Amino acid sequence: MRIRLDPWPVDIEGGQLTLKDFNGEIQDVETPRWAAIPARPIPERLRQVFVVDGKRRMESRLFIEDDHGQSGLGGFGAYVVGAVELCPHGTRQAELRAVKAARILAHAPDLRIDPMTLSPRHPHTGQLEYTPVPMTGTDALAALNVLQQHMLAAEQNLSHDLASRVPADDQDDREWLSALTVQDGTLRGRNLNGAVVGCVKTMETMYLPADRASLLSELKPGERTPVMRMTYSNGQFTRLIWYVRLCEAAFYQHPMAGVMRLEMFAPDDPSFLPPIVRQVANLSGTLLRRLGSHAHKDPRAPQNLIPTAALEQAMGRSMGSADLVTRRIRAHIAGLQGVA
Amino acid sequence: MVLGTQDVTPVSFWFAVLPGASVQLDDLVAVQTRKPDGSFVNFYGIVDHVRTRHEGVTFDSDVQDVAAGLLPASVSYAARVLVTRVNPENFIPPQPGDGVRHARGDDLRMALSADKMGEKAFPGGLLADGQVLPINYRFVNGENGGHINISGISGVATKTSYALFLLHSIFRSGVMGTGASAGRALIFNVKGEDLLFLDKRNREVESREAQAQAQKGLPDHRYALMGLPVEAFRDVQFLAPPRPGSAGAAIVPHVEQRAEGVTPFLYSLREFCARRMLPYVFVDRDASVNLGFVIGSIEERLYRMAQGAETPYLTVDDWQPDTEQVLDEDVRFDEMGSVRIGTFAQLVAYLEYKLLDANDGEGDRKWVGKQSPATLQAFIRRLRGVQKHLTPLVRGDVSADQAARFRPDPLKPGVQTTVVDIHTLSATAQMFIVGVLLRDLFEHKERVGRQDTVFVVLDELNKYAPRDGDSPIKDVLLDIAERGRSLGIILIGAQQTASEVERRIVSNAAIRVVGRLDLAEAERPEYRFLPQSFRARAGILQPGTMLVSQPDVPNPVLVNYPFPAWATRLDEVDDLQGRKVEEIGEDWLH
Repeated sequence: MRIRLDPWPVDIEGGQLTLKDFNGEIQDVETPRWAAIPARPIPERLRQVFVVDGKRRMESRLFIEDDHGQSGLGGFGAYVVGAVELCPHGTRQAELRAVKAARILAHAPDLRIDPMTLSPRHPHTGQLEYTPVPMTGTDALAALNVLQQHMLAAEQNLSHDLASRVPADDQDDREWLSALTVQDGTLRGRNLNGAVVGCVKTMETMYLPADRASLLSELKPGERTPVMRMTYSNGQFTRLIWYVRLCEAAFYQHPMAGVMRLEMFAPDDPSFLPPIVRQVANLSGTLLRRLGSHAHKDPRAPQNLIPTAALEQAMGRSMGSADLVTRRIRAHIAGLQGVA
Repeated sequence: MVLGTQDVTPVSFWFAVLPGASVQLDDLVAVQTRKPDGSFVNFYGIVDHVRTRHEGVTFDSDVQDVAAGLLPASVSYAARVLVTRVNPENFIPPQPGDGVRHARGDDLRMALSADKMGEKAFPGGLLADGQVLPINYRFVNGENGGHINISGISGVATKTSYALFLLHSIFRSGVMGTGASAGRALIFNVKGEDLLFLDKRNREVESREAQAQAQKGLPDHRYALMGLPVEAFRDVQFLAPPRPGSAGAAIVPHVEQRAEGVTPFLYSLREFCARRMLPYVFVDRDASVNLGFVIGSIEERLYRMAQGAETPYLTVDDWQPDTEQVLDEDVRFDEMGSVRIGTFAQLVAYLEYKLLDANDGEGDRKWVGKQSPATLQAFIRRLRGVQKHLTPLVRGDVSADQAARFRPDPLKPGVQTTVVDIHTLSATAQMFIVGVLLRDLFEHKERVGRQDTVFVVLDELNKYAPRDGDSPIKDVLLDIAERGRSLGIILIGAQQTASEVERRIVSNAAIRVVGRLDLAEAERPEYRFLPQSFRARAGILQPGTMLVSQPDVPNPVLVNYPFPAWATRLDEVDDLQGRKVEEIGEDWLH
């Protein structure tokens, strides 16, 4: 009997390794030979890498009565998306981009709600502006869901706006890979044709059959598996995926520690592998080894990338102090009701 | 703008430096904040701390990730202000977010309290940004306070250079008023012959100032910025001790580099006695109480001896020097049988006779009094010890005309600056001449009052007024420090280590200046007027840079001052009087 540790802290629910079964379909698209592919240098033409992430926060759940006698549940929510721009060759300082909070007032669909601005009592502090957004349901999580949707949509738009365009088929005009977006987590729903790669930190689902899974343990740092075409079991979404190892697993960790799954949007043609996707796969080992974090600094190392950690911090700051926002909301209600 | 992450107080606060701006130590800044009633309060202060750091990082090694372009982090650039002025005096704190601006023009005048000084401000040097530091003359001339004290390591801090610059500024800025000859200076030259060219223009001043102007990015050269002329000192007399030599030799000043323009100084023997100079011969710290009494008694006897005649020498009729002494000391006999005492050595011999030899070894009873022979022997031994050093300075073998001509007189009409060269004298002789000149000045001022301010520039204060022990010079200096400002005597004193100088002399100085210090010295209590950050910096100041503290401004200010317009060495003397060689050549041709 041999035991190995999950590399992530115990208090992170689920940990890094859960290995649920995958019921969808996997097919080879790059090569039928199942073997490690070495890391390649980052192309000179790739000048910009953007790490994009989003963050949301429910600020208050509400019971709302409009001026026409209707009432329903709702909520104040804030979300922010942002990016870190960096040079993959390390020649420029990394910079935060587009880190800006937005706020919504989620409400029941049949209410008529005006935009709400919460102004400060004292100078030098900003004001909070909540845009009304109808919810798609009336259940307890409806407000959170609409907040999540807004954040994901904003994240998707930002990711693709920043990235080079990936051709959809052989006949498409080619664009060089000059800007790449690295998105935290799985890709969002719609393909907007940008060179966006999703970095999945956890091994929540084992997409590989048993006879192929052992390659993950054998990868050396920087090496990757071949690119595969993966279709979810509901047949709705298809992704191009591969695994890459960022660092060696320590002797006490499970052998797949240090491995990350990457995914990009798949074209409709099942046999077409866009050259940009292959370029991204080839450079992913080199790039991610530079971006990977260190265990003594980040408990979710190496999969929680260095720029992502800083971006999370900046996004949290951008939303402001939750305590202050709560107080502002109460003061606003006090003002509306004429309470001193 | 004012930070919100640090406490903001009415006397000190931090502000963030925005991208594109640059703030350095000693910058003067202004902040305006609004009170709830809508009125404004203005703060003026000086930057005493600046720092940068990364924001958004946690570990020390994160700097490597930032430099590698992986980790986005912003540089936080912040500065701390020590407030020098609040106007109106509502001591509320500024608000976070208030804008902070560089103090210029009127803001600078407010920050440095120049509005209080009015026409009584004179330039004390340039700030780092090229603006002029005003110093309140009322705290120099004794009106509100007096005296200037300068500390710093010798040779590096250039204390004497700054003292002379201040004199130049006071004399030529117009701050002393309309009198053309208002104000005088008495400068003691204690090292080398550097000060013997004060009246000669420095040939290097123009190139040095052009260089400094370019380096510091100033709009004009530093003299012009301060409204001062690029000229040497005017109406200067140079006094130096006579060159040692046998009696009858010509009286010439003991200097090597300057060939003309230096007057030898000496006192006649009769003056020495009549003007009670004896105590200034005994300047060592361990003078005993008994000796003090003897000194006072003999002083009185000598005073009486000197009355009733005008000749430089003294005559006595109760002394028959031994035959050997006749040969040694060239005693001359008057026709009437009196003996002429013409040298200091002879005076000592006469005193020895009166105290120890007269009356078959019991001494003259009127002179001896009740002193024990041992004490009297100690007194004579002390005099013998200094005899060699004082003989050239106290002489009776000169004509009455020579005695009058060579008497040092810093208050001579037509003279504004007097340089007394004492660097060749022994320590004892130095202290003798310094003590006598200062006492004479003090007594003169006690008679005539405050008009005609006299500045005394004296280096090595730790030697003339040490913390421990007593001496007549220390008494005079203390009198000047404590009462001089009400009489119009202003001491510009300098020393390497203020901690070794009599405390009351340093603490009575209203204007205190610090050049480069030894860092251990900077921690002494004498420097508590410097905030900690200034003390740390005193160890790394460059020549030409000083920290100036004055009562109107709560914090010291760092200034630089220009290269001297007067020569400080022989090879700096401008023989061309500022004219071009071709111009002089044409003169010769005509």
